[in-house]
Amino acid sequence: MPDNAAPLLEVADLKIEFRSGRETVYAVNGAGFSVRPGETAAILGESGSGKSVTASAIMRLLQCPPAFIAGGAIRFKGDDVLAMPLNQWRRRCGREIAMVFQDALAALNPVFTVGWQIAELFRAHGERSGKKAEARAVELLARVGIPDPVNRARDYPHQFSGGMRQRVMIAMAIALGPDLLIADEPTTALDVTVQAQIMDLLQDLQKEIGMAMILITHDLGVVADVADHVAVMYAGRVVERGKVRDVLGKPAHPYTLALLESVPQLQQNSQSLRPIVGSPPDMAAPPSGCAFHPRCRFATGECKVKLPPKVAVAPGRVAECHHAKSVFNGG
Amino acid sequence: MAGEGPILEVRGLVKHFHVGGGFAFGRQAAVIRAVDDVSFDLRRGETLGLVGESGCGKSTVARTLLRLEEPTAGKALFHGRDVFAAGERELKDIRRRIQVIFQDPYASLNPRLRVEQIVSEPWVIHRDVLPRAGWPDRVRELLESVGLRREHAERYPHEFSGGQRQRIGIARAMALNPEILICDEPVSALDVSVQAQVVNLLEEIQQRFGIAYIFIAHDLSVVRHMSHRVAVMYLGRIVELGGKEQVYARPRHPYTKALLSAQPSIDFTGERQSQRIILQGEVPSPANPPSGCRFRSRCWKMQQVCAGEPPPLAEGSESGHRAACYFPEGGPARA
Repeated sequence: MPDNAAPLLEVADLKIEFRSGRETVYAVNGAGFSVRPGETAAILGESGSGKSVTASAIMRLLQCPPAFIAGGAIRFKGDDVLAMPLNQWRRRCGREIAMVFQDALAALNPVFTVGWQIAELFRAHGERSGKKAEARAVELLARVGIPDPVNRARDYPHQFSGGMRQRVMIAMAIALGPDLLIADEPTTALDVTVQAQIMDLLQDLQKEIGMAMILITHDLGVVADVADHVAVMYAGRVVERGKVRDVLGKPAHPYTLALLESVPQLQQNSQSLRPIVGSPPDMAAPPSGCAFHPRCRFATGECKVKLPPKVAVAPGRVAECHHAKSVFNGG
Repeated sequence: MAGEGPILEVRGLVKHFHVGGGFAFGRQAAVIRAVDDVSFDLRRGETLGLVGESGCGKSTVARTLLRLEEPTAGKALFHGRDVFAAGERELKDIRRRIQVIFQDPYASLNPRLRVEQIVSEPWVIHRDVLPRAGWPDRVRELLESVGLRREHAERYPHEFSGGQRQRIGIARAMALNPEILICDEPVSALDVSVQAQVVNLLEEIQQRFGIAYIFIAHDLSVVRHMSHRVAVMYLGRIVELGGKEQVYARPRHPYTKALLSAQPSIDFTGERQSQRIILQGEVPSPANPPSGCRFRSRCWKMQQVCAGEPPPLAEGSESGHRAACYFPEGGPARA
């Protein structure tokens, strides 16, 4: 993909809060990234880093309240998603943008057959003939690699294995040929061999349809395997982004570096791991300044008080750290 | 480390679960063959990694070794005494020396007990280990040895993060100075940045106290990091067993090869993508496993012989590296 193509999706300075009577949780704290047509962008982060909340905000699936979008913008094909009337956005969902969730069993309706649920999607988007809708559902099941699709279409979600259920979810998401697919931890609940099948399927479909994909994951390996670009999230901010090979090969943010040092490698014998001290922050009371400073070995006095600027360490590479340049240069 | 004889010898372990039947007249009770004919040794101070995908029987192996499940057949000789034949009193003594930590640090600690009570509970059961007067000090010592603070003894589990709770679980397991610690997916519920802390702690404890680990996990990288030897399980059987270098660098069983190639990793040499083996289909049901080699229904090397007798776990050209396959990588088994 050309690097200068206009972004398909742009998230800028997004802020999302969850307000309850007692406290406010600052789940997303000024996250920004963009996705160009056809590319695979990964959002990498640990639990609580705000990656799934960001995805839900893009799809406008957040329950408001308790969620509250406190600032920022989401632009899809140049249109302001958050300002758009909800029913107008809903019509575009499915056709232009779709989402696959981690927990396929919770995302499917247990009391309808899988075939019926997929056909429902076509009916909702204008297919008048029930027969035709069902035929298209079967076709779709075959396309995502479900054996014996005619009979399987009559089965209920609980009769499918985890991997097959995820295939059903993917079938529904790609049914209308979206331009952007958001996959939220699509393989986290699956075994490695099944994970490989699903990632393979997603990549094939992506090529076939020419859609862009946002892959939300906590798994560095998955990011390295499939994504072109990556945005590393920590405490509700994108702390580093760039091309996957560059970011994972030569990180510029201490958090990315620390993550890489703390996971054992499959190919080589690793020495003692270098864990990240402490635990992820409580987002009801995030640390001042740079949220990573209590766990950062590069932290100085400045980091405790001042939010770090976006530092461009190389073309296409941005890291939010006071010491980004020295981290990048192996300091 | 190694060198002496094994402290635990597991021979022909079988665990079948009977499901269905009961009041459902006319319906045949099904037998889930969770573990079938599993044998391995564990030496003093070593870590044996047990890997495999969900449903392969790795946790069932652990649970039967602790007699949390009664085995269907087989032996487990702990210093020559059969764990499976042990009477109540003998079992109590064995359990004191074989401890366990579980995957879910939220479910494995009683929320109503303070950390002090949790960590000292083993001494309530095993009265003769430590006189009561020594408990408070020993609890705090244990907490410090797992990287917590002395004053944490006063708190309740909900006040701790996942990683800290796992440390409490480790402190509790260490309270009886076990010889074997069974770690059932000890880090899979933790965040990546916290996993390494627990992994390092377990390594440190092993070095200090010379405890042998049976380390069960589905994450191949973590198992490689932790283990001296590795057993790969598929559908209730060990398909490959060997030193970690042997298994990871020179896998012999096709399943091991596929499993390793499927694991995503940060490696940009570009060779991996082309070598990736995507297995077709899914793991068959353990209620109705394929005859002979259980992996044959998904194996690209399948021949007629694979459907007959199950292949034995046989040594190849390298000593100690066993694979249960008629057509292993790197040539057939030694006669």
